[in-house]
Amino acid sequence: MSIRFQLLVIALTTLVLPWAGCQYARELESTLRVSQENSLQAAADTIANALSAQSQRVFGDIGDGPPFDPTQGDLYVFPLHNQPLLDGYREDWDLAMEPRTMPADGLGARLQAGFTERYLFVYVEVDDPEFDPEPSDVHPQQDRFDRVDLTLQRPDGALESYFFATSAPGLIQAQSMVKSDDGVDHAASEPRIQAFWLQTAHGYHLEARVPRSLAGSRLWMEASDGASGGKAGFMGADSLRGGRLFLATPGLNELLATFIGPGTRATVIDTNALKLGFAGSLTLNNDEEPRGAGGSWYRRFMAGDTSHWPLQVLAADHLEGKSVRGALAGHASAEWLRANPSQASLLSAAAPIMVGDQTRGAVVLEQPGDQLLELRDRALTHLFNLTLLATALAGAIAFGVATWISLRIGRLRLAADAAVTTDGKIRLDMPESDHADEIGGLARGFERLLARLNEHTQYLRTLGGKLSHELRTPLTIVRSSLDNLESEGVRADQRGYVTRAREGVLRLQSILSALGAASRVEESIKQTERVNFDLNDLLHSAVAGYRDAFRAARIELDTPSDACFMHGAPDLIVQMLDKLIENAVDFCSASGAITVRLTRAESNYELAVSNDGPPIPLEMLSRLFESLFEHRQGVDDKPHFGLGLYIVRLIAEFHGGRAVAANRSDGGGALFTVFLPLI
Amino acid sequence: MRKQIAIVEDEAALRENYSAALARHGYQVKTYANRKGAMQAFEVHLPDLAIIDISLEDEAEGGFDLCRDLRALSAELPIIFLTARDSELDAVSGLRLGADDFLTKDVSLPHLAARVAALFRRIDALRRPDNAAQIVRRGALSIDGEKMQTAWNGVPVMLSLTEFWIVHALARNPGHVKNRQQLMDAANVVLDDNTITSHVKRVRRKFQQIDAAFDAIQTVYGMGYRWVE
Repeated sequence: MSIRFQLLVIALTTLVLPWAGCQYARELESTLRVSQENSLQAAADTIANALSAQSQRVFGDIGDGPPFDPTQGDLYVFPLHNQPLLDGYREDWDLAMEPRTMPADGLGARLQAGFTERYLFVYVEVDDPEFDPEPSDVHPQQDRFDRVDLTLQRPDGALESYFFATSAPGLIQAQSMVKSDDGVDHAASEPRIQAFWLQTAHGYHLEARVPRSLAGSRLWMEASDGASGGKAGFMGADSLRGGRLFLATPGLNELLATFIGPGTRATVIDTNALKLGFAGSLTLNNDEEPRGAGGSWYRRFMAGDTSHWPLQVLAADHLEGKSVRGALAGHASAEWLRANPSQASLLSAAAPIMVGDQTRGAVVLEQPGDQLLELRDRALTHLFNLTLLATALAGAIAFGVATWISLRIGRLRLAADAAVTTDGKIRLDMPESDHADEIGGLARGFERLLARLNEHTQYLRTLGGKLSHELRTPLTIVRSSLDNLESEGVRADQRGYVTRAREGVLRLQSILSALGAASRVEESIKQTERVNFDLNDLLHSAVAGYRDAFRAARIELDTPSDACFMHGAPDLIVQMLDKLIENAVDFCSASGAITVRLTRAESNYELAVSNDGPPIPLEMLSRLFESLFEHRQGVDDKPHFGLGLYIVRLIAEFHGGRAVAANRSDGGGALFTVFLPLI
Repeated sequence: MRKQIAIVEDEAALRENYSAALARHGYQVKTYANRKGAMQAFEVHLPDLAIIDISLEDEAEGGFDLCRDLRALSAELPIIFLTARDSELDAVSGLRLGADDFLTKDVSLPHLAARVAALFRRIDALRRPDNAAQIVRRGALSIDGEKMQTAWNGVPVMLSLTEFWIVHALARNPGHVKNRQQLMDAANVVLDDNTITSHVKRVRRKFQQIDAAFDAIQTVYGMGYRWVE
């Protein structure tokens, strides 16, 4: 893993800051939720206690009947804020709830009721597109026409039946059957009960208005189709079942409004969870700007999961939910909901209203959950932005620093790789060494190391010469002593020892001579004069000599046909050739073939000596021309010090050329090439 | 009268060995370990021949100084440098100071004795009247084998003993290639090829100082040298 990548990873760990911020935010959020829950619950309890003290004003004279049962015709009567027009449309009732379907017997119909201070409004929607008009002389028991029956229980308890029918849609009056003086039933209009019959493509709407003074606590409606005889509705008047009217308590809204602050909605419900009154609104201020996409993204990232919360049930006539059920069962409880349809969090706290030890209803307080968290969101979003920015900055800086460092290290590495050249020279200067930091220190360390290595190399290079020099005197002592010994006369039986000692001295002497050869060549090179001479001529002459000297080897010469002049020292060139030929002879096979080839290239001569011996191992190739480097597989009696090719290199370099070793491309042997400059 | 040879050599064992060998050949040998002792003795009495090492005890170039001083005392005294130092530079400086020969310690005792004998022979020959029969002429070259002297166009060429023998070996059979080994044998020395090359070079230069057009010694690359007329 590169340094750059490592530092980048380290920089990424600063991302833990926003994560920690999120964790903190979640804890904060749940704490805030609990405290909001507690305070709202406390408020609900307080209101419930206050209301239970005025239970008469809250619940009126609602008795303990059977539970509210719409299937039996029980009807919640909505409080209407404005006096609606009698026009067959219920849009001006301004209710969020659709009319309730009535029990059907061959006819579809829906019913809704509302009240104002003076009137009770009943709205019926019947799916009967065929209008069957009322005959002029109506006889309801026999005649078949579209009609809607209304049965009222009057405040005094008496039942009164009316019906609505018309020969033409429009504003009509209720009719009732009255026995006339002649004992015959006939229809009579009741002008106090007015209605509007509106015929539409799907059927007809009937919007009826009954004075509160006529209406008691029960009411039944039934629609019937004149053509088919189908009916829909409640004919419970016979048994006095159902048909009860549940009305909101007048004045309760105003009373409730005194209890609550802004941003909270209070609803009072009876034991059937039907709304008796409500006050307040859930929104604090409507001009609040919507949160941006980024904000909601952060919110999703930071906020706790709310998807398991139940969805708020929207009903205009009653409340539902765990807290409501809990309160009606007698114990206060709160719960978190998701608002419908905005999904915003909503807190609902309910407290039972107890009269004596009996639950008469409940107060439900609702508050948006997001309001208190809004401030926290803003701060955390800010924090989140800042830490992300810091992370990006830290990452960029870490990346830049790492790039810079790895560039410098790379430069140093390249220099270290190239410090020791293939021909054994050592470059002492390192890049970066003028920097004061650790990399600069490393570079200086390299420089010191290289300087020491260079000293050592120089020492090794001159060691041969020094050794040969220092050993020469003791060797001379031995040899001259042997000379003396022989001159003094040696007994025949001792002669063998002297001869052996002399052989040893000779060998030692040739070793020393070889060891000193390199330094002698280096020295003689310094004093060599250069002349212009014909390399071609020199090669022909020299190769003739080699053929004479090495009779076992076949030496072939391949040169250009014309003269090849160069500037240099012919003696040295011959000496170089000597070493190359000796080397080739040593390595080539028994019937060895050696080829000497001179070619003229663009800027230099290429003098190549190839043999057919074994190939040179690749790792040896570049080191062959070093001093005292010896690679020989065969065993022979001559001492070898690896100086021959070093001398070749010295001479090539003296002439401004260079020597390289390679294996022949045909794999048949080794190839030594010396590049010598043209004049 | 026995010839007197002075050996100035700081290595006692060598000193004794050389001394013994030369004494065996009938010379009277005096040995000195350092320049001071030798010079004191020389000022009183000059030897007939001096063999000097270059580095003497703590004087790395003491032999050169001694040679210079000795040459000041006598222009004819044969001086041989015998040293472990084999660098070209040392040889050139030694010969330039007026030494008659420059030998490395590789030389064997019989070879050393042969040289000493040759130098004495030359001294003796110089003292005798000219003997024309001993003179070999090759064009502009004349070699006096007895006096071991060479002249080019009548001008004497000051050659060391080794150089003289090399020229002698080449000029005796003009046109014949003498390889390095043959030249070494002729000069009674064991040298490496490189040293022969520099000897030949020096010889050429000495002739060229007299005659810039001198090119009688030809290099036959890979084989050796030959004298051409």
